[in-house]
Amino acid sequence: MTQAPKSISASTPKSGENSWLWLLKLVTGPFIIIFMLVHFIVNHAIASSGLLNYSDILTYYTIWVVPVMEIIFLGLVVSHSLLGLRSIIIDLHPSRGVLAVISWLFLIIGVSAFVYGTWLITVIVSLRVTL
Amino acid sequence: MNINRNQPSPGKLLQWFNPLGRKLSFSGFTLNRVSALGLTLYLYLHLIVLSLLAQGPNAYDNFLKLIHNPWFMFGEWLVVAAGLIHGLNGLRIALTSLGIVVPQQKQMFVFLMVIAVIGSLIFAFRMFTTF
Amino acid sequence: MSMTKWTITIQVYRQKGEALPHYDEFKLEVDPDEYVLDGVERIWAFNDRTVCFRHACHHSTCGACGMRVNGVEKLTCITPIREVTQNGGKIKIEPLRNFPVISDLVVDMGSLYSNMERVGAQSVLPVTEAEIERPLRSWPKEDSQYIRLSDCIECGLCISACPISTTSETYLGPAVLAGAQQKGVRLDPNLLRLVDCEDGPWRCHSAFECTAVCPSFVDPARRIMLLRQQIVLERLTRLFRSEPKKMTVKEANR
Repeated sequence: MTQAPKSISASTPKSGENSWLWLLKLVTGPFIIIFMLVHFIVNHAIASSGLLNYSDILTYYTIWVVPVMEIIFLGLVVSHSLLGLRSIIIDLHPSRGVLAVISWLFLIIGVSAFVYGTWLITVIVSLRVTL
Repeated sequence: MNINRNQPSPGKLLQWFNPLGRKLSFSGFTLNRVSALGLTLYLYLHLIVLSLLAQGPNAYDNFLKLIHNPWFMFGEWLVVAAGLIHGLNGLRIALTSLGIVVPQQKQMFVFLMVIAVIGSLIFAFRMFTTF
Repeated sequence: MSMTKWTITIQVYRQKGEALPHYDEFKLEVDPDEYVLDGVERIWAFNDRTVCFRHACHHSTCGACGMRVNGVEKLTCITPIREVTQNGGKIKIEPLRNFPVISDLVVDMGSLYSNMERVGAQSVLPVTEAEIERPLRSWPKEDSQYIRLSDCIECGLCISACPISTTSETYLGPAVLAGAQQKGVRLDPNLLRLVDCEDGPWRCHSAFECTAVCPSFVDPARRIMLLRQQIVLERLTRLFRSEPKKMTVKEANR
């Protein structure tokens, strides 16, 4: 008679995800909706040409609140998307080593994207100033 | 060993996208996942494209001419639709995660997806009639 | 029971030892008001004595007869045949997902039972915690002396239906998390450590399939949301509290 297979029980609790990371993902979501609405309405409804050419974009970025808003929006979206993507990967039960690599990779991508985006915004602001 | 056939496995992730035998909220889970992946891809492409702004008016305006075609516009419309679906479904998930409106979550899902569909249709009309 | 007779085909998942799984078909004459479990029993009694399946109470209190019927998790003792097919139709019966198959329709539920023990899921509760009969706060205080069995019958349908349990073998799963919610993380620091991790409620992505298939009013999805609240509140409280709260003897014995 076939032996009953050994049960798989939950392993020792792991800290790959916890309440703080989940809260961060939860809190960034609604803020993204708000910023997205503003981003969209201003970019495509209020701006005269719908911001569809280079000089209009530069003019738009001279309003001081715009770069501030866009930088905050960038931070929210980058963190929410990478936390979400990491959560999807954890659903696939990667090994601890793989998860550690992915976590560091996402951290590097996230920080790089934020720094790059912030730099790009400051370049755009400075371009208008020099014109 | 055949016992592995019926056990959890990362290789079974296609089950996330199989609605057969499942209820409506399962489609919410699937839609959220698909839209998340699409929006994440768009986010980083968007950041890369925006670097053209730092290269001067010709680079950016030429790019805008390039993407002014039905296929790109369809892609952009998909992004808008994905944003609406993910954002509104995300609202439902955020509220239920906080224990709010849990018994009515199915009705809320239907209501929010109707709004997402209407919003997507409005965007489609705006985008393709001004093309 | 009606006098009507239906002729149906039941397709049963078969797996013995290390042989490849396959499906056997059995044509039966049934009363459509009989239950799917009755059909499986008749197959075993008159057609094939090697069919393995679990059953016990036949009235949805033991949780033994959980199976997938046409791809959907059901307690077969309370699933009428007319609900899942029609005269001349077919019923596909498979074991629950996400548990190792021992034989045919019998799966190894050991992981569920051991995890329920690990989180200290309570099988007996005061009636004042029975939300089904009346809202929690409306129970008179003196009624807390009366006890009842917990709603969860550990049938495993929720774990079979959960999309995350399909890809992650260590995810605790809806039934276990619902049990942890009922126990309460505030009272047990070990429980908090056990559930506040990547195998805990953060794996839930609101598919709500567990609640959809639960035959016993546990509403595991809602309990997972409440467990999240418990964990977040406890973590926030601990930020401002230097010493962990100590349990009273009564709380520890709860």
